[in-house]
Amino acid sequence: MSRLPNQPRELINRDNVIRFTFDGKPVEAYEGDTIGSALFAAGRRTFSRSFKYHRRRGLLCCAGQCPNCIVAVDGAPGTRACTEPVREGMKVEHLNAQPGLDLDVMRATDLVGTKFTPPGFYYKTFIRPRKLWPVYEKVLRHAAGLGVLRKEQPDREWRTEYRRRHADVLVIGGGAAGRRAAAAAAEQGDDVVLVDEGPFPIDAIPGVEILARASALGFFDGIVPVWQGDTLHQIRARRHVFATGAIEQPLVFAGNDLPGVMLSGGAVRLTQLYAVRPGTRAVVVATSDRGLVAAATLQDAGVAIAAVADVRESLSAAARRLSERGIEVTPGHTILEAKGGKAVDSAVLGPVGVSGASVEKTFDCDLVVVSGGFVPAMSLLLQTGAQTRYDPARGCFVVDKLPPGVTAVGDVAGVDEDGADGDSAAAAIPPPVSGAGRGKCFACLCEDVTAKDIKLSVEEGYDSIELSKRYTTVTMGPCQGRMCQLPAIRLMAKETGQLLEEVGTTTARPPWVSVPMGVLAGRPFEPAKRSSIHGRHRELGGNIKWAGDWRRAYDYGDPQGEALAVHEAAGLIDVSTLGKLLVRGADAGEFLNRLYPNRFSDLRPGRIRYGVISSDAGRIVDDGTICRIDDETFYVTTTSSGAGAVEEWFSWWLADWRLRVRLTDLTQGLSAVNLAGPRARQILSTLTDLDCSPEAFKYLDGKHAKVAGVECLILRIGFVGEVGYEIHFAAAHGEHVWDALMEAGRDHGVRPFGLEPQRILRLQKMHILVGQDTDSESTPFGAAMPWIVKLDKEEDFIGKWALEHYAIEEPATRLVGFTLGNGYVPTEGSVILDGLGVPAGQVTSARFSPVLDRVIGMAWVPSPLARDGSQITISDEGRTTEAQIQTKPFYDPEGEVLRS
Amino acid sequence: MSFLLTCPNCGVREVTDFGYGGEISPRPRSRPTLRELGEYNYFRRNVAGVQREWWFHRSGCRAWFIAERDTRTNEVLLTELPADSGNGGAA
Amino acid sequence: MSIAFLSPATAGDTAVARSPMERTAKAAGARFENRDGWNVAVEYPGEDRVRETVGFTDVSHLRKLEIQGDEVPGELGEAKREGDAWICQLTPTRSLLLGGVHAVPPDAVDVTTCFAALTIFGPLAREVIARFCALDLRPQVAPPGSFRPGSIARQPGMILVQDTDRFLLLFGWAVGEYMWSVVDDAARSLDGGPVGSPPTENQ
Repeated sequence: MSRLPNQPRELINRDNVIRFTFDGKPVEAYEGDTIGSALFAAGRRTFSRSFKYHRRRGLLCCAGQCPNCIVAVDGAPGTRACTEPVREGMKVEHLNAQPGLDLDVMRATDLVGTKFTPPGFYYKTFIRPRKLWPVYEKVLRHAAGLGVLRKEQPDREWRTEYRRRHADVLVIGGGAAGRRAAAAAAEQGDDVVLVDEGPFPIDAIPGVEILARASALGFFDGIVPVWQGDTLHQIRARRHVFATGAIEQPLVFAGNDLPGVMLSGGAVRLTQLYAVRPGTRAVVVATSDRGLVAAATLQDAGVAIAAVADVRESLSAAARRLSERGIEVTPGHTILEAKGGKAVDSAVLGPVGVSGASVEKTFDCDLVVVSGGFVPAMSLLLQTGAQTRYDPARGCFVVDKLPPGVTAVGDVAGVDEDGADGDSAAAAIPPPVSGAGRGKCFACLCEDVTAKDIKLSVEEGYDSIELSKRYTTVTMGPCQGRMCQLPAIRLMAKETGQLLEEVGTTTARPPWVSVPMGVLAGRPFEPAKRSSIHGRHRELGGNIKWAGDWRRAYDYGDPQGEALAVHEAAGLIDVSTLGKLLVRGADAGEFLNRLYPNRFSDLRPGRIRYGVISSDAGRIVDDGTICRIDDETFYVTTTSSGAGAVEEWFSWWLADWRLRVRLTDLTQGLSAVNLAGPRARQILSTLTDLDCSPEAFKYLDGKHAKVAGVECLILRIGFVGEVGYEIHFAAAHGEHVWDALMEAGRDHGVRPFGLEPQRILRLQKMHILVGQDTDSESTPFGAAMPWIVKLDKEEDFIGKWALEHYAIEEPATRLVGFTLGNGYVPTEGSVILDGLGVPAGQVTSARFSPVLDRVIGMAWVPSPLARDGSQITISDEGRTTEAQIQTKPFYDPEGEVLRS
Repeated sequence: MSFLLTCPNCGVREVTDFGYGGEISPRPRSRPTLRELGEYNYFRRNVAGVQREWWFHRSGCRAWFIAERDTRTNEVLLTELPADSGNGGAA
Repeated sequence: MSIAFLSPATAGDTAVARSPMERTAKAAGARFENRDGWNVAVEYPGEDRVRETVGFTDVSHLRKLEIQGDEVPGELGEAKREGDAWICQLTPTRSLLLGGVHAVPPDAVDVTTCFAALTIFGPLAREVIARFCALDLRPQVAPPGSFRPGSIARQPGMILVQDTDRFLLLFGWAVGEYMWSVVDDAARSLDGGPVGSPPTENQ
């Protein structure tokens, strides 16, 4: 056991023992331990196997920064053992090693395969033969990666809550500087949120909402998503204070990834916070006073100090204080190599910049404590648009220009919080690599990128840091550059001969911490619009599908029978999804005259007219019916899918023209049903006092009447080709009116019909569906509706100029009907071939018509073919078939049924 | 992309509240030539800089308004109702 | 002809008016009463439990009138109390009159069934709304009487701050069932739930 006696700052509660398992074996820990501290205390030194070479990796930073201790907890991969608190019964497992952490067969890639795995080795090695790639891919995926997601895992079913939080000030980082900034803002009366990602609780600050154990993921144009347990806070603040601290850097030397090599901060945290002795005999190598002091902490904890090297040329006051306690610091020296098998057993030190066996010294040790200096944790800050500059004195990039509303405090701003004892001397800049040639010197632990790999990438021409990043994947692993960006930049500078400021940094991007996809998914939102009669459709066995934003009944199990019922008796369809606009005001008629190619100012109250909306390019945008209610009131319907767009289109022109028109969108406020068929008149008559006789209620009349006690607007229109009444009324009465009509029609054989039979019925009448039979190129002339364009209208109208042009220009293709004799229904979108077999049009709709007992359809065909009796060739994915053109409606071509 | 827009009616909202209506391209006041009509219908200036453009507060008051936005930074310099604006723009 | 067909039936009519959330309310165990022609959910099992946390009530039957004109009084972003009605200013020329039974302006359009409505109330009301809505409803920013049109659960909507910790949400009638599912789910995660509409419900 390496557990120490009580430490003054320890976080563990020795009275409460927690038990969990690691790779199935029981581990005992104390409350307050992390998985990492508990496993280390229990003697574990290897925590993971590396990404590419499967080398052993042990605790390094103990601060959740590096990739070395990533494990799976209860089946979920991607958790850092060093910051994850232990929980009773948790199941912790290693990642990326087969068959086990301590015996990993893939280690062979390190021992024999190194020269086969340079940067870009996927592309260099596995491209030939090409057809073997799937095999390679399988092997590579197995060999690399950081864990697997198990599909059968039950606790994958969890959900994050989104929580919107507005604030005056958001402080990121709960260290001393962050807490001071939060308290100061709160004292001024600001609404303050403080976020801290450390594993420790944060003391309350009056007036500040503290989110502890919460990670800011990024800065998205002013929104900071903060992941805290099962909540994703989306914080929108007016001001942002970054107190994200500094990150201790490793040194690049041979064997710098061996278990037992630890950052000074990691060794100190293990000792002081978890009372775990990180080793028995240590070599300490540092570039600053802040790194050196680890030697004293370790000595106090009973660790023998074998040697201390300071990269700086002269001894600082802190170094001299160490000598007072018997620790001799060797200036101007650094570490060349850490040696060992499963873990460090010795370290080789030597003078900086001088090589040769005569000047080196080897020390036996089981702990190598390194500190390559501290760099500001700027990633989040840079996402705000802050600039950086290279600080030659500190040997790293520091934040320079901050955007408005953004401040930086503490370590990230270059203020040394921990070492603020007044006399700390400047830090040294370590050599980019030392001990090269003795073994692998890792620049990037996540992705197993060595100093040599970066050298090679430069030699191969990837001589900018952004290119090298993509080629070697340096900085692209789970540490997100925390441990490797500066070492990589230094190596790039060395290999290219550039200055560090010329090399520059890679772009900081979110997310700042590894985050499960489920956290981002959050609460599921699937807005569905439902008609007020929707419940009835479900009860009637409706086949409910999405239709745009709406849930609609496509059919009730028998689309052909439903269509026939409309011809033979009556059918009832819910058309509540139609767009419905009320256009009122003194200029209402003029407004519609300007919006539609045809005329509405002369429409008489109580009458209905069909209208097609065209764009200024003369293309069909939408269609619908318009009923004039009184002199100043029009009731406009639009297609279901176009409802929102038409409302926006109307109000856009209204905003510009500023006519005396008041527009109200009634789409969701009104239910609408279409009662159609030879018995429709009788059925309706039983529910209303209105005279429904053909003389009193003619085709294209609109009437106001009570139906089943409900005030309704009844439009006599014929989309489906039989006598039909489209009944509009307040949505609160959807089921009441539906039920009344179904009941009244029962003896007449009324059937509910869905969208699919409606599509058959309207196709029989060649009534177009905008968006189905038309596209963004279709004009009213091409769509065989020249009669709808009134170019003699006194007002200018939208589309007029383009339509004047199309009125005289023969369109390349025209929309026509076709019939097929052989019962074959071509796929919608099938190609129309011209005489030379070249595609020259397409099928837009095709159905079997039960009442006509043949296949009918609509298609855009070359204009010369758009004549009754022409023969066209349809090519449906290679299958060709002949069809006859028909330009008049297939059913009731003269409209006698409709008007009866 | 995420930025804030100030609806002249409703106040500051996330950009996802709004529909984008494109840059203001005035409709010809009298019959254009075919070329002018084509330019009006199909050509946009697509400036890298400050642009006057239409926005629709789709999730809120459902009114159109005009914004001046820097297309490079998404900084919105001004929003106003067309009635308060010198030119509405479309016509 | 008139636009009377926009208005739902009132007390005494044979046709009962129904909220788009009636079926979800029924599934949640609601007891219903006829109030002025509307079938209103007046009580849910165990609804007292949520008084300490957050409750929500279907008030879709609330009468809503749209008034448009050149001269619409009021301040944008605010609602004015007039008797038992609220006048909510949407644009300089458009406002909504919510509730109240007197003095229907002659030019008003009845949009009662264009908007379904829920009140969300209780100490955790703001937290519930924050789970599906980005509007800033902090008391210092949105005191009682504030009116905030904006996206609610990815749908167009409006929020009226009726009182401290009491919010009226308006949204499209056709998304009633969807909105119930969102609000119910969010409220339950904070130990809240549906509450019946009290007889003296003062909208």
